[in-house]
Amino acid sequence: MVLDDLGSSLRGTLDTLRGKSRISEEDVEEIVKEIQRSLLSADVDVSLVMELSDSIKERALEEEPPAGTPARDFVLRIVYEELVGLIGESTELPLEEQTILLAGLQGSGKTTSAAKMAWWFSTKGLRPAVIQTDTFRPGAYDQAKQMCSRAEVDFYGNPDNDDPVEIARTGLEETSEADVHIVDTAGRHALEDDLIDEIEQIEGVVEPDTSLLVLDAAIGQGAKEQASQFDESIGIDGVVITKLDGTAKGGGALTAVDQTDSSIAFLGTGEEVQDVERFEPNGFISRLLGMGDLGQLAERV
Amino acid sequence: KARSLVRGKFVIEEEDLEGPLHELELALLSSDVEMGVAQEILDNIRDELVGETRTFTTSTGEVVEEALRDAIYDVISVGQFDFDERIAVEDKPVTIVFTGVNGVGKTTSIAKLSRYFEERGYSTVMANGDTYRAGANEQIQEHADALETKLISHEQGGDPAAVLYDGVEYAQANDIDIVLGDTAGRLHTDEGLMDQLEKIDRVVGPDLTLFVDEAVAGQDAVNRAREFNEAAEIDGAILTKADADSNGGAAISVAHVTGKPILFLGVGQGYDDIEPFDPDEMVDRLLAEE
Ligand SMILES: Nc1nc2c(ncn2[C@@H]2O[C@H](COP(=O)(O)OP(=O)(O)OP(=O)(O)O)[C@@H](O)[C@H]2O)c(=O)[nH]1
Ligand SMILES: Nc1nc2c(ncn2[C@@H]2O[C@H](COP(=O)(O)OP(=O)(O)OP(=O)(O)O)[C@@H](O)[C@H]2O)c(=O)[nH]1
Ligand SMILES: [Mg+2]
Ligand SMILES: [Mg+2]
Repeated sequence: MVLDDLGSSLRGTLDTLRGKSRISEEDVEEIVKEIQRSLLSADVDVSLVMELSDSIKERALEEEPPAGTPARDFVLRIVYEELVGLIGESTELPLEEQTILLAGLQGSGKTTSAAKMAWWFSTKGLRPAVIQTDTFRPGAYDQAKQMCSRAEVDFYGNPDNDDPVEIARTGLEETSEADVHIVDTAGRHALEDDLIDEIEQIEGVVEPDTSLLVLDAAIGQGAKEQASQFDESIGIDGVVITKLDGTAKGGGALTAVDQTDSSIAFLGTGEEVQDVERFEPNGFISRLLGMGDLGQLAERV
Repeated sequence: KARSLVRGKFVIEEEDLEGPLHELELALLSSDVEMGVAQEILDNIRDELVGETRTFTTSTGEVVEEALRDAIYDVISVGQFDFDERIAVEDKPVTIVFTGVNGVGKTTSIAKLSRYFEERGYSTVMANGDTYRAGANEQIQEHADALETKLISHEQGGDPAAVLYDGVEYAQANDIDIVLGDTAGRLHTDEGLMDQLEKIDRVVGPDLTLFVDEAVAGQDAVNRAREFNEAAEIDGAILTKADADSNGGAAISVAHVTGKPILFLGVGQGYDDIEPFDPDEMVDRLLAEE
């Protein structure tokens, strides 16, 4: 795969630094260029990549590597720190009563993620319920209902009602015994003004504690505009990245986190309800750059 | 600099191109053109322009942009054929199978094309080869009902090839012109499901295989297009959700890596939201921003 090649070329560049303790400006330029390429082929926003590589370059030239640290490890640590600084820790989700609203583009994986997250909360001893407000997509009600029965969690939907706002309101009442309410919504994108209005209304009724943007790992540069529009209309507190079982690196999520000043909550890694993980920065960053365990290295330096 | 200023003309040197080409690279990446594909396009432009002369009144940037337009057009117009004509001449029933990763819009595109064909005087039947996903039968049934067309489906968990085969038999027995065969979404990394796709292709032997991907896809578009084309060779592609994205780089990636034409763009969720792909328009769109 392309990124693996880039990953190995990055490793190659860094290997030439092994053993050197002083880094020349040329060396830094070279590495920064490779890092740029890795991030760009992971779908990170182009201008964000430029910003990141500027600060990496600046730090690598200005900071003094700790005595005895190989130059290569020193630069890698800077890269890791910059990326961790940007994405931070997993979105905070207390194990208590709460309401979560899911939003995102058509087909990004909202309905599947709703059932997955419900399943995840149920393994933590909480009682979750999924409320399906998608009245638009054919089969949306049946899909969500079947996924929830696989996850063995409560479900509310109403195939005879075509008002998502009303379904959201009734759904919250009907599932009042549940601790965690997860509200699924129909797919929409930033340019669909009427649908953006609609989700603002749903948000108004649901009053979520957390609104999550569900993003396909393969999304390209459009992630920026989508994220900023959803953030503007309902306020995004976190991102769910889906379909990470493929080869896409999920750089769009990094862009989204930067745009919305939020963090990543969950990772989706398959079509079944158990195929879900809480976000963990080290693995994600290593995947993004196509390299091994960077966190461990950064800690060692 | 070793420019020969003869009668108001410059010879373009490699170093003159460095700046413009670097900017171009970033522009292509910002439009979601895959990095390797972008690189090839830039290499072609470089090869073509170095040593060429340009007149005094044009800038190197302008010359490069002109060359870019040609280079992109070459990639994006690859293999274009008259789809309506092809359908007209094929023996009936024409079996079309739709493939692609999860959630890109295969089922919706089938519904749109059912309307498209019926409007052109053909009869259609849908066959649901997605025997896997929750709600898949209900989803396509609802489309079939709305479009007043027949759907052949089996129980969840059934053999997808068998459903598609039944669809073809139904069409033969009932004089239906076109079979629209859906498949479950699958990621190209899932070997078991990619083998299954190969088997479907072998058993059903479709007249056309259309690969569906979304215009919002980024760099990964090349990987999946390549893998799907290998598992079940495609005749063309449909790019959906073009209404959500003005970049369109995925079109370049898919056309380049498969050598097969983009045939349609999906531009919304309604049944009429499908347009024949126009390479000229896409080039304009790609070059519009910068
Ligand atoms: N392989 C894989 N497939 C996934 C994952 N998450 C979702 N899917 C699949 O992606 C497709 C779309 O998922 P949905 O949950 O229907 O997406 P959605 O956002 O609810 O779609 P709309 O409601 O139409 O906007 C389905 O085929 C899912 O099975 C994942 O993490 N991995
Ligand atoms: N905006 C927009 N949405 C689209 C378009 N095509 C499909 N969709 C939406 O994308 C979502 C997924 O479409 P599906 O047709 O279910 O996709 P699929 O490829 O069959 O999905 P799986 O069978 O789960 O793999 C639905 O919400 C569709 O309404 C398009 O051209 N534009
Ligand atoms: Mg859904
Ligand atoms: Mg489908």
